[in-house]
Amino acid sequence: MKKLIMIRRALIAMLLISLAGCSSMGVEPWERDVLAKDEMQLIADPLEVAIDEHIYFSKEASSGGRGFGGGGCGCN
Amino acid sequence: MAMFGSLRLFAKRLLITALVALPFAFGTARADEPLDLSAYDGKVVVLDFWASWCVPCRRSFPWMNDMQAKYGADGLVIIGVNMDAEAGDASKFLADFPANFKIIYDSDGELARQYDVVAMPSSYIIGRDGKQVARHLGFKVKKQDEYEALLREALAQ
Amino acid sequence: MKRKNSKSVAATLTTATCALLGTTTTTPVNAQEEHAWEFDTALLYYGEGDSRVQDASVNLLAVRNFVDDRVLSLTLGVDSLTGATPIGAVPFDGPQTFTSPSGLRVKTRPANEIPLDDSFLDTRVAFSAGWQQPWGRLSSFNAGVSASKEYDYLHLGANFKLAHDFNKRNTTVSLGLAFSSDELDPVGGAPQALTSMLDVGDLSNRLGSQSKDVLDVVLGVSQIINRNLVVQLNYSYSSADGYLNDPYKIVSLVDPVSGDPVPRVPTPGVDGPSHEYLFEGRPDQRTKHSIYGQAKYYMNGKVLDASYRYMTDDWDVDSHTVDLRYRWPFSGQSYIEPHVRYYTQTHADFYRTSLDSSAPLPAYASADYRLGEFDAITVGVKYGRQLQSGNEWSARVEFYTSSGSVPADLLIGNQAGREIYPDLNAIIAQFSYSFGW
Repeated sequence: MKKLIMIRRALIAMLLISLAGCSSMGVEPWERDVLAKDEMQLIADPLEVAIDEHIYFSKEASSGGRGFGGGGCGCN
Repeated sequence: MAMFGSLRLFAKRLLITALVALPFAFGTARADEPLDLSAYDGKVVVLDFWASWCVPCRRSFPWMNDMQAKYGADGLVIIGVNMDAEAGDASKFLADFPANFKIIYDSDGELARQYDVVAMPSSYIIGRDGKQVARHLGFKVKKQDEYEALLREALAQ
Repeated sequence: MKRKNSKSVAATLTTATCALLGTTTTTPVNAQEEHAWEFDTALLYYGEGDSRVQDASVNLLAVRNFVDDRVLSLTLGVDSLTGATPIGAVPFDGPQTFTSPSGLRVKTRPANEIPLDDSFLDTRVAFSAGWQQPWGRLSSFNAGVSASKEYDYLHLGANFKLAHDFNKRNTTVSLGLAFSSDELDPVGGAPQALTSMLDVGDLSNRLGSQSKDVLDVVLGVSQIINRNLVVQLNYSYSSADGYLNDPYKIVSLVDPVSGDPVPRVPTPGVDGPSHEYLFEGRPDQRTKHSIYGQAKYYMNGKVLDASYRYMTDDWDVDSHTVDLRYRWPFSGQSYIEPHVRYYTQTHADFYRTSLDSSAPLPAYASADYRLGEFDAITVGVKYGRQLQSGNEWSARVEFYTSSGSVPADLLIGNQAGREIYPDLNAIIAQFSYSFGW
């Protein structure tokens, strides 16, 4: 039960971050040179991530949870 | 010397228009003098904000070359505003995607802020009377005809 | 060749993950030739010590970039698996004999060793396809399918994702869904949970093929903090329904005082198990919640990638995963990337080392070490190099080691003095090559 309360709090935090807290944070659209680099992507090597996910899924009781996208050059 | 309202303060500085950079110029980061569009009075100016790391920009350059060639005689002036922090990166890009239009540098983002650039790349069409008539955010190959139509509309004034 | 659209590709590879549009590029070493197709290939070797599992695989990722930020990604993987895995029975100071999963023969395991089942010889093929496209200027949409087949298992899945950018694309919110419909056809038939391992030729407690459905939902936010830092926070929900047992795992029935396996009365003239064993039984439903946070920080050419995941489920398993990578470029074209991962989990509430033969049977029981309590560490290093042509290769070697602990209240009698939990030591070696066409 305590765990679910923590989860709920984390979800609320995420909602607040995405709706309100972030309008002042970040960079201008033309300042994304570093963020556009391959090595700065949240998943820089999708094949390796998939391989690792498969290994750990077979050996451990947890799996997934990780990411998607955002960051990057933000073009178009 | 009509400028749109927010540039009046700017115009007071009365500095000569930005340098025209040669496509193969090398050098450290620099920003040009504030842009004085009075030199282009009566012409349609396209200010295109681009950077070497922006992939859609690779597709927009050939198209802008085409537009400059096609409508230059009618009074179209395309100015590419480079936003790279290092001008060397811009030079590498221009070596692969040459520009047959003016390139100016805005590494400190002054001009971009002035024009409230919210996307990369961004194009602002400034009419013959110096007022901004249109902008497009991003560059989509499928929208090329749409972009061209906006230019023709501005040139028809 | 630099990988473009790596984020769009991630969607097709990871369960219910989301990939945001964002064509990424750096100025490559040579001419900026944009390839229609980009390929990533990887050869992988995974090997555990003590004659346990060994896996070799070939993996391919193909990405086709279409005009205006539309992307097709395809993956194909072929795995060849051999070796043995702990069957779930407790060791003691005598040999033990087990009926094979097919029910056709028996195998004897030596005394004082955690019994392994070496019937593993399997090839698995996995495939996925995904499509990404913009939806309006600030949103994107992904859809994909996945499938995999091994001799006793078939997986079919579909996934969808929506993402939206705002705050001048500094913030991205996304929602992903993945559905999975799997079918198990274990050798000999799926055993009925918590029924006995029987003699050779006796498949009376076996059922037909079984199914398992999984729904995954991922809700995520990513935020650019400054020019050098991007962070991400995800919440995932997973719900699995159906046959969740491992059909090949058993639990020993032991004497309540000695903790030794209870011998079985053999059937005359027929081979069979030497002691009393039950096929494991897990609940037919499992709900998981995870929170995942990641940060990527650029420091003058070097990149630090740090992430943390907390998982909790209704089987009472809680886990923490901390992952750190530090990418260190040198001589312009190459880099070295050390990697450390720490993982810890608590045991499932129905995890048992063995079952007291004198007590009533619980509703669920499993001795699968993967549901036990353990810590695991991965330490590795990767080296990568970009070639003149723009293609790139990399190699990594990692050591994965896990060591478990069994809570005292789960150990019975002599078990306390024995090694009950099978620790794991494995090597991971991968060679990758990326090229465009």
